[in-house]
Amino acid sequence: MSSELMNKVAVEVAHQNAMERGCKFLPHGSRLFTVEQGWESAIISKDKGVAVADTLLTLEAALRNPENKVIFIPLDAAMTEGDIEKLCQRNAITKTLFKEVKKSS
Amino acid sequence: MKKDAKNLPATDLLATKIKDLTPEILAQLEKPLGTADRPFPMWGSQRVEYKGNSELEQVLSVIASDARPMKIYTERSYQEVMALAYCDMPVPSMLQLFFDGLERRKPESKNRTQMLIGNPGHGKSFMGALQGRLRSKKSVEVFDCGGKNMNELLFEMVLDFGSGDALPSAIDKRLKAGTLQALSLAKLKSLPGVSIEKDEVKSIDWNYFKGKAKPEEVDAAYKIMKEVSHIEGLDNAGGNALGMNSQYGPLIRWFKENREGVLDEYNKSREGSDNALQTVWQFLNGEIDQCTVENPLKNKDTTSGPSSFTFKREDMGIGFFVTLTGNKTEDGVTTRSLNKSVYSRLSPQTLPDPDVIDWQHRICQMMVGLPVSTLYTVFKDQANKDPDAFGAWLMALRKEKAQIEGVAIPALQEALLMNWKNVVSASEKLAQFYDKWATLTDAEKIMQGHADLVEEVDEEYSKKEGVDFRKIKQHLEEAAAIRPRMEPAEAPAFINFKDFMKQPVLSEQDDENPALFFGTRLVEFLERMVYEKSAAIGKEKLYAKLSKAMDEFGLHDVHLLEGAHSGQKSVEEALNISSFADRDLGKQAQLARKVFCDYIRQISPEITAEDDQIVTMKKVHDALEKVGQKNTAETKELFIVNRDHETLGASPLTGAKIEDVAAYTLAKKELDLSYDDLVHHDDFMASLALPTISGKNIAAIWDANIRPLTEDQNTAPANQNTPDAGAKGATADLDEALHIAENRSAQKLATTTLRVLFNDASGAPCDVSIHIVRNEARGKTLIVGEKVPSKLLAAFREAGITHVDRNDPNAIGKVEAALNDLTRNMPESVRGRLAEAFKYRNDVDAEHLKGKNPQLAELLVDGNIDMMYGKYLIKASKKAM
Repeated sequence: MSSELMNKVAVEVAHQNAMERGCKFLPHGSRLFTVEQGWESAIISKDKGVAVADTLLTLEAALRNPENKVIFIPLDAAMTEGDIEKLCQRNAITKTLFKEVKKSS
Repeated sequence: MKKDAKNLPATDLLATKIKDLTPEILAQLEKPLGTADRPFPMWGSQRVEYKGNSELEQVLSVIASDARPMKIYTERSYQEVMALAYCDMPVPSMLQLFFDGLERRKPESKNRTQMLIGNPGHGKSFMGALQGRLRSKKSVEVFDCGGKNMNELLFEMVLDFGSGDALPSAIDKRLKAGTLQALSLAKLKSLPGVSIEKDEVKSIDWNYFKGKAKPEEVDAAYKIMKEVSHIEGLDNAGGNALGMNSQYGPLIRWFKENREGVLDEYNKSREGSDNALQTVWQFLNGEIDQCTVENPLKNKDTTSGPSSFTFKREDMGIGFFVTLTGNKTEDGVTTRSLNKSVYSRLSPQTLPDPDVIDWQHRICQMMVGLPVSTLYTVFKDQANKDPDAFGAWLMALRKEKAQIEGVAIPALQEALLMNWKNVVSASEKLAQFYDKWATLTDAEKIMQGHADLVEEVDEEYSKKEGVDFRKIKQHLEEAAAIRPRMEPAEAPAFINFKDFMKQPVLSEQDDENPALFFGTRLVEFLERMVYEKSAAIGKEKLYAKLSKAMDEFGLHDVHLLEGAHSGQKSVEEALNISSFADRDLGKQAQLARKVFCDYIRQISPEITAEDDQIVTMKKVHDALEKVGQKNTAETKELFIVNRDHETLGASPLTGAKIEDVAAYTLAKKELDLSYDDLVHHDDFMASLALPTISGKNIAAIWDANIRPLTEDQNTAPANQNTPDAGAKGATADLDEALHIAENRSAQKLATTTLRVLFNDASGAPCDVSIHIVRNEARGKTLIVGEKVPSKLLAAFREAGITHVDRNDPNAIGKVEAALNDLTRNMPESVRGRLAEAFKYRNDVDAEHLKGKNPQLAELLVDGNIDMMYGKYLIKASKKAM
């Protein structure tokens, strides 16, 4: 298996693992999934085409960029879930957001 | 100069001025919706004939015309438009307004506004923005008008941070690193748009000051930022510009940029603040073709900015449109009634209260990502005729939407979508329940038929706890996640006193299919919510009514009065979806191979080969296909995991059959067996963890061999504990117990025991019992036996099997809980009949039970009970299948 294909499979597995934990429905069809800190969050954040947003300025820019379908929010991002909801409310667009959280066990 | 479509990128087409549209550009933009063989659902009034009279009724039908379809003028591809239009479709009662919105976006339409009035959470801004999302990949700006001066829609005061937002970025960086000065932090706390967490500044919404803040907020923020910039020493750095300017407000920006916008909560804006807008509304609704607005902020203090703007019809682009939303005035004091002139110019359209069909539509969208119920309702005949094609179409739509979302369909949604019939039936029951819940928590509506709730449900309660779409969203969010579950209260809890302070070694974790208990999680959560929002806060009458509604609408198992299963699935059952139920044999083979290989590696640790090296997918597929065609209830064939390393690659399964001592007794013959003939306990258990095979084997284990023995007067009753023939109703009880032993009970309950090979603690061969209790109607099985390889446990859950290791210190509690579940909603007497059925085969007159009155759970876990009429599971042939 080529490394590119392996990476693609790993990203897919990381997405599915994160999505298994359920989501928060955000306004206008966006969804917020949590992803535990570790290989899953690392692989999602490094995936090409994924915008990493660690401040509200970068999050809003990512929401407004039609090229970004998936947005990754790192553990130390300066924002609350309320902020994320607010920004998704005023920028109506369908995106998938993954928010890194601490490992539960 | 007119634009040439060939020279324009697709993403710029919406910027074309309407007057410059050429047939080529229009052809590229125009996407039909609701054509002859791609009908689109539509809600509206139609005259319906009923017993000779015709009445006007609201009905759900379709638009399906090649000559006059609806049209969407969009930069998106046809596939994307179809996926979004069908998956994110507004609820049925809003479809007519959706259609109206499309009409107003046509190039020839001079009215470029739509105002929607409705209850909070109804989906007004969602629908407005959906129209924009259908047309472009760019985000639609939603401007919150609440508490704002509406003149700011034209010109607004903003903070100007210069290009690149250098100052905010520098402050954000220090905020994240925790290096901001304490004085700066104290000052930043008073900024509007700041989020505070644990008394710390967590984030600053800088863009709020670039077009969302009120002028006085911008003014205050400017002063604070000047100070913070100075404290942090950022005022000297190059590029850290800070100024205050007036600029075009959202309405003018959207007009200039030819894009969509939503003015949310328009009637929560500041009273009397929209005077300057009256001519603008006249322009936007097509009454006039030009209007000029002056900037009242120009040259105020130190600000600069445009002095005026002229809206001209000839400058209007095809992409420009404004949706306004407002709440019904009874929503609260902040909602105001609009001026007569505004009503006249914007002609607000009021949304009806949601109906059951709307609740169901939204529930389906949240559960699977598209409104299966509405699509099923309009295409019912075809869906019933060809359910697979309908299911494949739903999946194709959802997959296309997943492309837009940038990730695959979540496993839970995919599993539910593959079982779309269950989703339709469960969502209907849920919708009826939510509709009832909404009625019972609405202080106005309870006066019609529920006046007894008047003391418990007042306006305040309605506002706080009234049910709307947002509540459903929260409930489904909760149910989707797998969380630790509480054991049933009646199940005794075992605690290890001796080693309590030592950190336990946890048993191996297995991945749980998120769909397997989704229904249970949802219904349990709803039960909890119902209790917390009623009985727990002293609203007993409301609780009684809601509990009754949960039963009435089949959230739990639906049973007939006699206790027999009605055949209709409850919400819980319909939404608990096992991957074993997948009709795709290829997927079943994948699952089966994984279980098979994991099992082989676990029992033979010397095997480290990959799955493909152990057995190919084709071999597993072929084996499942072959077994799947058998009627094992008739043939009594069983299929066991082949653990022979030499042959398992070619034949992963091997045949088995049951030799019953009861049949030999009747024929007055002896059964001669050795341990070598017996199937190993673990191999049989592994076969029950394989999709297809599990069901086929369980179907093969039932018999009617005991009945002739009980009818034969020369044959003694099984033991003293068999039903007393003299007791009242004994014949019927005896019959029911026999039926349970034969899997012919009206309750669909059955039990039997098999004898298999095992190795005791010293490794010596012995034979042990496996007790099986089955609820045929619910597809659930309890199996009590020896410890099984851990790799089988996850698959057991998928197969609906609860396995209890009889050596587990908490085995009795686990069996008790499983029996309670299997006999849920059945008459109490059923447990007695079940115990009697068990005693037909098992000798409970054993020495160690003398003088005791053990309950069924205790008998099932008792490894010292012998069988009187043993059912031995033996290898069918030494030659593997």
